Amino acid sequence: MTVGLAACGSNGSSGTSSSSLVVETSFVLTTLDPARMFEPTGFMIDHVLYDTLLTYQGSNVTTPVPDLAASYTVSADAETYTFTLRKGVRFANGDPVTAADVVFSLMRTKNVNGSPSFLMAGITATAPSPGTVVLTSSTPNPAIPAILTDPSLGILDAKKVQAAGGSDAADAATADKAEAALNTTSEGSGPYTLTSFSTTTQVVLTANPRYWGPKPRYSEIVIRNVDPSVQKLDVLRGESQLALDLSPAQAQGMTGVQIVNGASPNMVFLFTNDNPKISRITSNPEFQQAVRYGINYASLVQLAGKGAVQAAGIIPTMFLGNLPPGSGAAYNLSKARAALAASGLGHPTVTLAYPSDLPVNGISLADLAARVQQDLQEVGINIQLQGQSLQVALASYRGGQEAMGLWYWGPDFPDPSDYLNFLPGALVGLRAGWARGADPALEAIGAAAATTTQNPVRETLYQQLQRSMNNSSPFMPLIQPAQVLVGATSVTNLQPSPLWTVDLGELG
Amino acid sequence: MSSASIPAPAPRRRATAGHRDLRRFLLRRLGSGLVVCIGITLVAFVLTHLVPGDPAAANLGQRAIGDPAAVAAFRHQYGLDRPLPVQYALYLKNLLHGNLGISEQSHRPVLADLEEYAPATIELALFAIVLSLVIGISLGIVAAAYHDRWPDHVIRVVSLAGVSMPVFWIALVAFYLLFFKLGWLPGGGRLDPAQTPPTHLTGMFTVDAAMHGQWGLFWSALRHLILPGLVLAIFTTGTLTRSTRASMLEIMGNDYVRAARLKGLPERIVILRHVLRPALVPIITVAGVAFGNLLAGTVLVENIFSWPGLGQYAYRSAVNLDLPAIMGVSLFVALVYIVVNVITDLLYGIIDPRIRLS
Repeated sequence: MTVGLAACGSNGSSGTSSSSLVVETSFVLTTLDPARMFEPTGFMIDHVLYDTLLTYQGSNVTTPVPDLAASYTVSADAETYTFTLRKGVRFANGDPVTAADVVFSLMRTKNVNGSPSFLMAGITATAPSPGTVVLTSSTPNPAIPAILTDPSLGILDAKKVQAAGGSDAADAATADKAEAALNTTSEGSGPYTLTSFSTTTQVVLTANPRYWGPKPRYSEIVIRNVDPSVQKLDVLRGESQLALDLSPAQAQGMTGVQIVNGASPNMVFLFTNDNPKISRITSNPEFQQAVRYGINYASLVQLAGKGAVQAAGIIPTMFLGNLPPGSGAAYNLSKARAALAASGLGHPTVTLAYPSDLPVNGISLADLAARVQQDLQEVGINIQLQGQSLQVALASYRGGQEAMGLWYWGPDFPDPSDYLNFLPGALVGLRAGWARGADPALEAIGAAAATTTQNPVRETLYQQLQRSMNNSSPFMPLIQPAQVLVGATSVTNLQPSPLWTVDLGELG
Repeated sequence: MSSASIPAPAPRRRATAGHRDLRRFLLRRLGSGLVVCIGITLVAFVLTHLVPGDPAAANLGQRAIGDPAAVAAFRHQYGLDRPLPVQYALYLKNLLHGNLGISEQSHRPVLADLEEYAPATIELALFAIVLSLVIGISLGIVAAAYHDRWPDHVIRVVSLAGVSMPVFWIALVAFYLLFFKLGWLPGGGRLDPAQTPPTHLTGMFTVDAAMHGQWGLFWSALRHLILPGLVLAIFTTGTLTRSTRASMLEIMGNDYVRAARLKGLPERIVILRHVLRPALVPIITVAGVAFGNLLAGTVLVENIFSWPGLGQYAYRSAVNLDLPAIMGVSLFVALVYIVVNVITDLLYGIIDPRIRLS
């Protein structure tokens, strides 16, 4: 085995399945059962264990490409999607992949009531023929192709999972008992199969000899749970070939390795609670403008390091509907001071809450909060920092109790409709005290964007929506931190993925 | 023949009485240990529910937490939808059947998690404590024997440094130096990345590999054990050195030690036979507490060395409000302290017969 590891450090060619790859990351992992998995490490692993109907290639997450589905059609109202399955695909155990397996897998994720079940909300899957799957949505849903790329909607061998106690019935939340089995043996058709699984130590994958697509380069992948500071030393010494969690500062100056810097899909934002019952100060529209123009965005980007960018809007740069760079709010101290004066609040003092133990792509929210405090001090706003442990901070954030908050949003699926959660009355909007009816014009744009099926029109609507929010809303998008991948030079085709960090099956 | 056999029953009676005393002692300690364990479960249960956080929020995704069906399913699955007294009573009932509940993080029985992670930490702690005992007691003896001379001064400074330096800092420096710069020892983990662990017997890889005669695996497991073991041992060694020295110096001031020297006994005999043995009682106390602390306090070292032990499991459980796991770890640590205390008490008796008689 050690010989295999040494080989991967020297063999730069692809096309052979004879070596091992050691990947190091800080695990955020509780399960590999697709119906219950919704965490970064799980996404990366399940993506290569299970095929989905559609997927993305490389870093491009704007257009889904066929995976198990060879093609699909969509009705004009975006309520009915018909998928034709790829012929001749088999699971790693040799069973053929059928439409019944697809229906079972999707409905199981829906009915288990786990973290990813919301992906299938209002959607029903049926199989009119062995090679055809139809998804019917109760409302127009143009996001379905993007949603189907999610590894939580990976396709499992229904017979095997049912034999292990799995169920896709309406009572699957209590009836399904297959999780333990799926954490031992994967029942997918992806390029790798599960060899061993631990939520704290390592996960070992072995190449699937029956994989229908391009043969994976590595015969074995060992994914280890390692602290970022140790990841750096390991990849430099050749103990590992891929480090996934280094911050730009940690990656700076490393030599003898390849460093891929790109913006992550995480969007760090500030909000000022719009509910006067929570804060008379932060709900004042002029105060919100003072905050918006009083933040020195360039200094936050500099703090976040190489690869980070200012968030031009709530939708990250890699998704449909994103705003071009430079169109976000701009730092303007005199404008901020004028807005504060117009608010009639004098020099107010406000508490800014944030999770102190939740680094985002290696960036501490405490550091960002301190920089915001410093910027707003210049405007005349006194910020009292309130860093709390994540679980404590989450309760007040989700309850809409924070006067000002510094948080981040990671995409649930790669479609701009995921960001409609920021609108008045929606999930995140309510956390900022932004009640339904607070901005009827904006809400109308959001409603139109949610149901429009044509991508060019959608793009226009989402951009319009963000420009409106950049002018007036309780949200101030700050930055997209950098996502840094550090790999041995022997690893080729290393590309960051906003969804599964890196596609282990595509590495050369 | 009959007259010669008459006195024989006396020592047997004494032995039987001794065994009865020992049994009574163990039963008494077992009883008090049981009370302590129940107390620990109550304290852990109350404390974990006092934390201002929601286990459902901690374990469900940001979208699922907004879905009442998903939240209800989670609460029902982990029994969080019942009143607190009922939850605690159910926990105790399940505990009687050896069921510690299901971890909200790993989705596995807590007992299975403990069986997986505890041996790694026990192996690490045993390695560190053995190392600490050998080095710490030896240095303590030397320091006491050379009281106020240069070996004593050097050892005092070194042991003070050992107890003063933060463990995470020592760990990072040792990792950088011995792994990254010099390459003498492997980095993190219990084995090389692609190695398969030995068949499970004790869960301690060195022991299991040796028992299966897998000497290559044994060597790999041992090499991985050295660096985190050394780091953990540094603090304990410092503590043991200082307590051994202090304890020995106190004994050396006694009249019987002076008498032994005046009789002309060699200094080696005086130190080892007349000073060390009585000095061992406080040393054992320190060692017992240190072992318990090693088991309970390996979080930082396990994190830096990617050591998949109880420390990492406990940390993850705590930050994610995984109540069954927190309870399980608390109970396990309490049990270890109880067992270590019993062993310590028994050792007192072996070293000092006066304690045994009392």
